[in-house]
Amino acid sequence: MACGLAVAVLGLSSGANPAFAQKTAPGANATTASPPAAAASGSPAGDAAASPPGGEAAAETPAPDTRGLDQEVQGLKKDVVDLNRDLFVLEEELLFPANTQVAVFLSMDVGDFFALDSVQLKIDQKEVINYLYTPREVEALLRGGVHRLYLGNLKVGKHELVAFFSGKGPNDRDYKRGASLTFEKGIGAKYLELKINDRQRKQQPEFEIKDWE
Amino acid sequence: MMSLAQPAYFLLGHEAPDFALRAVAGSNVRLSEHRGDVVVLSFWSSRCSPCRAQLAALDKSLATYRSAGLQMYGINVDDDQTRAIEFAHGGQAVTFALLLDPQKEVSRRYQVDNLPMTLLIDRNGIVRYVLRDYSAKSDDQYLRQLRTLLNE
Repeated sequence: MACGLAVAVLGLSSGANPAFAQKTAPGANATTASPPAAAASGSPAGDAAASPPGGEAAAETPAPDTRGLDQEVQGLKKDVVDLNRDLFVLEEELLFPANTQVAVFLSMDVGDFFALDSVQLKIDQKEVINYLYTPREVEALLRGGVHRLYLGNLKVGKHELVAFFSGKGPNDRDYKRGASLTFEKGIGAKYLELKINDRQRKQQPEFEIKDWE
Repeated sequence: MMSLAQPAYFLLGHEAPDFALRAVAGSNVRLSEHRGDVVVLSFWSSRCSPCRAQLAALDKSLATYRSAGLQMYGINVDDDQTRAIEFAHGGQAVTFALLLDPQKEVSRRYQVDNLPMTLLIDRNGIVRYVLRDYSAKSDDQYLRQLRTLLNE
């Protein structure tokens, strides 16, 4: 009695999804030991007899088609990523408007004479960032990567940027050098680049600050 | 001794705040670079004897589970960093990196209210478990929780 009720319930639930029922019908088990398949086929005895014989075929009960669901999930994920990007851009536009924005980038070339450890940045004698670099970040810089070290706001006028570079210099000695630049902040975004180069002639690293006009 | 009335740790179920710290020996460490690994962070002080016992116990678990993608860091909160450096180079030294937090910025961000305090961070960077004490019992609990994260 209980078994019959279960079959009836399963039959109802599978009947609500015709696609699922169609998919399960070809692989319906020849035996009555598989109530879901039998119920899904819609004719418990007749179809079961007509289905291909063999235990292996019976074992391979096709899984419900989840491709549609997967595509839907992928679509939702893409929407979330797009929304996140739009929010990020909006946030940056609001927090750092183009007319006051100042961005400082760091790049490295060669690096035979200097292993970067950290950079401290001061604008108008106020520390704005002290960034520790990990070996992976340094490796990325040496491969040509550019790191946005700082993004902030400055009013129009003259400003001073001082950068202190710490790390290991020639002969693996602790090495700390500074570089400074006085620049004019006009209307519009200001981009500055800290460049670390090797000076082959002096066998020393070279630090410079470039103002992107 | 942990009070029963202790409130739930505020970072449980949330993304672990990122940080970069200098190590006593070796290179700088940034937490976000270990996404995909299970990370154990232990805040400790050289003046706290349970901290030292816990570091030794953590070191054993690292030896067992390192190959399963376990990363471990001890974050020292001493005012006097020389004690941490002495510990790191002493006879009780551990095999994982001991990081220095001289300004206590990271400790403040993680609201360390007890020592030792150990956080277990899953492969997605979410703080999943916190241990605010150390005892043989908490050691068993730690291993169970660690295995759970490594199996995910």
